[in-house]
Amino acid sequence: MDASLSQEPNRGRRTLAAAIYGWVDERLDLTGLIAHAREKAVPEHRHSFWYYWGGISLFFFVVQVLSGILLLVYYRPGPEAYESVRQITYDIQFGWLIRSAHSWSANLMVLAVFVHMFSVFFMRAYRKPREFGWWTGLILLGLTLVFGFSGYLLPMDDLAYFATKVGLEIPAAIPLVGTLVTEIVRGGPEITDVTIQRFFALHVVILPFLYLPFLAIHVWLVQKHGNALPPSEEAKPEPERRSIRFFPDFFAKDMGMWLLSLNILAILASLFPWQLGPQADELAAAPQGIHPEWYFMSQFQILKVFGRWFPGAVGEFLGIGLFTAGLIIWAVIPFIDSRSASGSRARTAFYIGLAALLGLIAITIWGYWEL
Amino acid sequence: MNYPFWDVPVLSGGGVIGLIAVYHLLIALFAVGGGLYLPIAERKAIREGREDWLRVLRRHAKFFLVLTAAFGTTSGVGIWFAIGLANPEATSTLIHNFVFGWAIEYVFFIVELTMAAAYYYTWDKIDRGLHLKIGYIYAASSFLTLVIINGILTFMLTPGETWLSVAGSGNEASVFWYAFFNPTYFPSLVIRTLIAWSLAGIWALVTASRIDGFAYPGLKKQIISWSAKWLIPAFVLVPFCFLWYLAMVPESNRQLLDLGISTIGQGTFTQVTRSALITVMTSATIIALVYFVAVRNSRSFNLGWAISILLLALAATGATEQAREMLRKPYVIGDFMYSNGVRKYEVAKFNSEGYLAHSIWKSKDTSSMTDVDRGELMFRGQCGACHTQTGYRGMSVLLKDRDERSIENIVGMLHAYNDDSPYRKYMPPLVGKDDEMKALVAYLKTLPAKPAK
Repeated sequence: MDASLSQEPNRGRRTLAAAIYGWVDERLDLTGLIAHAREKAVPEHRHSFWYYWGGISLFFFVVQVLSGILLLVYYRPGPEAYESVRQITYDIQFGWLIRSAHSWSANLMVLAVFVHMFSVFFMRAYRKPREFGWWTGLILLGLTLVFGFSGYLLPMDDLAYFATKVGLEIPAAIPLVGTLVTEIVRGGPEITDVTIQRFFALHVVILPFLYLPFLAIHVWLVQKHGNALPPSEEAKPEPERRSIRFFPDFFAKDMGMWLLSLNILAILASLFPWQLGPQADELAAAPQGIHPEWYFMSQFQILKVFGRWFPGAVGEFLGIGLFTAGLIIWAVIPFIDSRSASGSRARTAFYIGLAALLGLIAITIWGYWEL
Repeated sequence: MNYPFWDVPVLSGGGVIGLIAVYHLLIALFAVGGGLYLPIAERKAIREGREDWLRVLRRHAKFFLVLTAAFGTTSGVGIWFAIGLANPEATSTLIHNFVFGWAIEYVFFIVELTMAAAYYYTWDKIDRGLHLKIGYIYAASSFLTLVIINGILTFMLTPGETWLSVAGSGNEASVFWYAFFNPTYFPSLVIRTLIAWSLAGIWALVTASRIDGFAYPGLKKQIISWSAKWLIPAFVLVPFCFLWYLAMVPESNRQLLDLGISTIGQGTFTQVTRSALITVMTSATIIALVYFVAVRNSRSFNLGWAISILLLALAATGATEQAREMLRKPYVIGDFMYSNGVRKYEVAKFNSEGYLAHSIWKSKDTSSMTDVDRGELMFRGQCGACHTQTGYRGMSVLLKDRDERSIENIVGMLHAYNDDSPYRKYMPPLVGKDDEMKALVAYLKTLPAKPAK
């Protein structure tokens, strides 16, 4: 066969691909975008591992969205909520897998967000010019926790029902407005079908509506300011610092981390699939040791302990007050430790971070210990 | 019933076997694949005059020797201890049926271990051609250990009609080769060989990750790229070989794979499907990571990534082995011996004469024991191979929502073992006389109820 003829189809394909690329590039400047990604450098050092946690959090959020959309196909909020989740878990092909992936990735996302937050903290990535990155991150963390809380009730089995009932004690303890806010969220004095409807609306409409703009701003800020150097790297002279290209080197590793996260999720969802307990019955006794999800355990335990030490409204007020004060300090940390060099303020910030991390872990363990 | 019970709380005997087996397999298959990798890589380096490659390979050979000869052999012996204790009847059958096979296996083991040591300790001390020959003898002997053990392992799933026709007659050894080259022998051998080559590549990445990619970028890239190619045959062929393997498995066993598609009910048996899913997911990820993170980013490919890939290989191996084990249910030796060690042909005898009457490992006459105590003996003998009281597949969790009537029903159903019983697919029958069944119910009722979560 004539060589030129045999090469013709390939050339045709290349021309078509080039034409399509050229058409898109002319309008979206893909070449400029790729060139920018290639120029962009990511620091490479012994703490680089912590750079991946923002991406891992984002990955679990993407899983949440995709598996959540699939669950929406069969989930029926309201009186049939429990039955629909039962069908998803025990009747529909691979329904159990989608539900388990959704539940596990919710937990893994909260965990990844916490790891991301503390790694950002200890790398001092809240300092100028990254303050807005820190604040939008905190807002995203708050929204993530509300996502988790609102989703937990939706299966309406006994565990979901009683854990939500217990969990709602936290906002109810807020002085003055606590009871009102809780009743609005609950749709009445008790958890009913109305509550499911409200939680569902919150979970799939209101929260995504709030979350996505903040996520976009957060990611944009990360791209704009780049990865922060930890103090140990900052102390090194410029020529001694190593870096890799954002694209394709860091990007490939980031995708590798996503794949590893996907595998951890798949292993957990397959080996420990999320079961469904008996249908919620408000007249039945609460199962023994009922408690909110692990990420609310520290708040729950503080309220419980303060309630024990200072019975009545005083205990609730002190418990909520302690948490609020902690949150305020956490949010204003960029002002407390604003300098780039190490100093007494940097040390103070470090001890605040360490106290927060160890405190959260210790109080959570304490909470489980007392169940 | 010639052996005492091995009671492993929380984990169960099967759990202990599983843990050791997965760990062992990851090393044993490396011993087979890596045994071929080393001389082929050495030959390539010698031909191309790559002394830098040879230095890396020598380091890899040391790592290989330590891992396979120390950890591989001890864990291999560990498996035999564990299966001998957890399922003595099945182990006895394997030993008696394959005496000749075991003898050959140990010959190959000795050759393999000797050659592994000789290969490393003669590096740069003897002629390179002779050194390569030692490497090839190692490769051949380690492959032959797989050839033998594969016959014994696959026999347990599909002993084949010929062997089954003489099973229990005392003439089993006369059909040795039929049992050895059983229906799943060849697909399993091909799959295991392909996996062994993949593991050779994956373990080589561990050594390669230790090369400083900023100081020796070319060397690191070449070794990683060459090692990664060892994964290609498995990537291309294992899916087809797996279908071949499944086609050789009896239809009733294959159905277990479908069970977990729509549900996570029915105890832990839906786990076969879930384990198979993990195998597919982790295997595909290994290929993707090796290409994108190791080959395309060889310079900064570090030990952390290499270990991650190795852990994925561990997950893939573990999941596959678990699926294979579960696929064999309700038997430990297909259509011959149930997973609790009761031979199929003994069921009628135990039902008429009593199960405990044939258990010689009990301290006294069972007629003077309480129902609960006799029931516990029944539990240990017939349920303990797969269930614990409160741990892995714990009865206290599985029975937590059942009252006495309901426990009686399930025990009765397993005792009757009717053709339409849903448990028939994956659980052995409960054997014994009616009073022994009542004793078992009495014992099961005493197990403390524990919440599922």
